[in-house]
Amino acid sequence: MDRGEFAIIGTGEVPCGNYPERTEFETAYTVARAAIRDAGIDVGDIGAILCAQHIMSNPDNDYNTEMVFGRLPEAIGARDCKITCMTSSGGASSFSLRKTAEGILHSGETDTVLVVHAQRFSQFTPNEQAKYFSIAGSDVEWEVPYGMTYNALAAMITQAYMSITGTTIEQVASVCVANRKWAMLQPNAMFNQKEITVDKVVNARMVSYPLTTLMCNVLGDGGSAFIMTTAEKAKKICDKPVYVLGEASDYSHRTITRAGMKDFASMAEYLSPIAGLAYERSGLGPEDMDIYQVYGSYPCIQLIIMDALGICDPGTSGALVESGETSPGGKYPVTTNGEALSFGHTGTGVGIALLVESVRQLQGKAGKAQVEGARFLVENTGGGAFMDCHFTILGNEIPG
Amino acid sequence: MSKHEPISIDTIKAMMNLTDEDLKKPLPLPTKWSQPFWDAARQHRLVLRKCSACGNIDHPPYLYCTACQADEHEWIEASGKGTLFAYAINYFGVPFPFWADLPYVLGMIDLAEGVRMISNIVECDFDELKNGMELEVVFDDVSEEITLPKWRPIEK
Repeated sequence: MDRGEFAIIGTGEVPCGNYPERTEFETAYTVARAAIRDAGIDVGDIGAILCAQHIMSNPDNDYNTEMVFGRLPEAIGARDCKITCMTSSGGASSFSLRKTAEGILHSGETDTVLVVHAQRFSQFTPNEQAKYFSIAGSDVEWEVPYGMTYNALAAMITQAYMSITGTTIEQVASVCVANRKWAMLQPNAMFNQKEITVDKVVNARMVSYPLTTLMCNVLGDGGSAFIMTTAEKAKKICDKPVYVLGEASDYSHRTITRAGMKDFASMAEYLSPIAGLAYERSGLGPEDMDIYQVYGSYPCIQLIIMDALGICDPGTSGALVESGETSPGGKYPVTTNGEALSFGHTGTGVGIALLVESVRQLQGKAGKAQVEGARFLVENTGGGAFMDCHFTILGNEIPG
Repeated sequence: MSKHEPISIDTIKAMMNLTDEDLKKPLPLPTKWSQPFWDAARQHRLVLRKCSACGNIDHPPYLYCTACQADEHEWIEASGKGTLFAYAINYFGVPFPFWADLPYVLGMIDLAEGVRMISNIVECDFDELKNGMELEVVFDDVSEEITLPKWRPIEK
């Protein structure tokens, strides 16, 4: 990919929360139209439509099957659509969808791609959800029989990280507080009504020691979409395109026990070069970033990623968050939509929502959460049992 | 560590309208390449898959060696000794079959043979759990066919 070869020109989103009456089909059609209108294009311009696979399918009216077999182009009237497909890499789907879109654009078959995500967790019972999330992050043969859960996986990583770095539980909790402050500025966030305090987070019901309920994300119904095009076309039709300036990836493992970094203290050693490569490819450095969009899902994972971004010494991100510098008004705005912990966990959509928020910020459309004059940001995502990591540098200009 | 009272399994059963089927614990479904591990566990032996070509030990085991892709391998007897790398204590929000066991400990165990395993840490005082502490394997016969290797602190 050449630097600045592709651009995102519009986004759409629905509120995240408990919306059992809003089917995933309605959500998909709604966010698609919103993104088309926001981009100022005609639906007939769209030549490819990509859907994120949603998780926990309903066999009686299976969204995944419908989307795989071309429901969306027909339903939204995309009369000149040539290509449709579904893509997923769990929490990293925002990245794999975007890479797929880039490949289609690079092929020259079309110059406009729509990417859509929709999820409705509320149609499943709590037991179905608990069951799914015990196997999503864990191995069914080697871990699930021991009562493993996603929360326990994150709890073990948190426990190891705290013990190795000396990070305190209050510092871990301060990530949740900062996320909530951002979500308070987001009209579509699931939790945007009430601030939380470190004390409240630490003293909430224990779920998986050392994680309390307020340190674990909550599943929500939601969806978002974006329109991607070539930089060449974007410059002609969009006032403020958001360019992909650099990206870098790595895959580590399926089973957490097979992770390349055996010692979580060296997590930053593993992640920093990936972030470094993305910075290098963009021609920019950490100090040039106006926002740091970190996908953690759990507070400690956000800390581990922050350690790799070049804004603090590895192991000290907890102190940085505690200082308030990652909160609204701080020097290092981190995760400006509040992410899985406060915006809400929409399955494969957490990263897509973060990407959509990144585009809004760089287009100056982020409302109350707007970071004034934001030009460049680094965005990260990853999936599974922290199986992979992707860093992307986005900007509303291509640096000379 | 938790000042919140646990919710009893009977309460949950009534609240959620659960059947006995909903409360059945998930058991490992051995694969062609993992069957020897579970057969040995049934005999209260802990074994690991070692590649005969390059000496790599894979856990979990796979169809062929993940280091050199060779098929030839042997199952070696593990020492049953390890150290605790990290742990979590589940108090709440687990699949219903595990509700009656709350609270319980999950740990990442570094085996003396160099591989890492997730299992339960049993027969332990929660307040004395410490990363790096020495552990030994114990066997829990959970069904006719399946025995789960678990770990407990070594008495000093």
